[in-house]
Amino acid sequence: MSSIYLTVAIGEVAIAALLLIRLASGPTISDRIVALNAISTQAALATVFFAAFARRTVYLDVALWLASFSYLAAIVWSRYLERGLL
Amino acid sequence: MSEGIVIALAAVGGIFSLTGAVGILRMPDVYCRIQCSSMIITMGALPALVALVVGEGPLSTYGSRALLVAALLLVVNPAASHALARAAYKTGVPMWPGAVADRVRDTRASEAQGEAQ
Repeated sequence: MSSIYLTVAIGEVAIAALLLIRLASGPTISDRIVALNAISTQAALATVFFAAFARRTVYLDVALWLASFSYLAAIVWSRYLERGLL
Repeated sequence: MSEGIVIALAAVGGIFSLTGAVGILRMPDVYCRIQCSSMIITMGALPALVALVVGEGPLSTYGSRALLVAALLLVVNPAASHALARAAYKTGVPMWPGAVADRVRDTRASEAQGEAQ
C-alpha cells in the first residue's frame, strides 16, 4: 500500500514540474499566477501522500498550510493586480 | 479489494491532474488556462485524496486530514480562480483572437446605451 502512496506523490511532483514550463514562459503575469496556484495544489497533494508513505504526521500540517496559503497567495496577487496595493 | 479501489482512484486523479497540466500548457489564453486550473486540477485532487481516505479509513489520522484538505481545496480553488479571472479581465489581458463572445463588454455597452437614452 505504501508503494502506491509513493508513486502518487512522485506523479504529482512530475505534474508540478510540467507546470513549471508555464510558470517560466507565461506571457502575462496572470498566466504565471494560474500556474503557481496549480503547482501549490499539486504540492499539497504530494505532501499528503508523502506523509502517508513515510508515516510522519507532521507533514499533514504542512499540506494543510500549503492548501490554505495558496488560496491566500492567489487572492493577494489578484487584489494587487486589480488595485495596485496590498 | 481495498487496494484495487485505491489504485483505481489514484489513477483517475493522476490522469485528471495530467490533463489539467497539459491544458494549462497548451490553452491559448489566460481565461482558458484558468478554466483548466479551476475545474480539472480540483477534480484531479479529489479522487487522489479519496483514494487515501479509502486506503487509511476516514477516521484515521491520515484519512481525516486528507478529507480536510479535500474540503478546503473544493471551497478554495474555485474562489481563487474566480478572483484571478476577474483581476485578469480588469487589467486588460487580451483574449485569444478566435474568441467569439465577451459578455461583460456586451453588457456594459448595452448599459451605457441605456443611460445615454
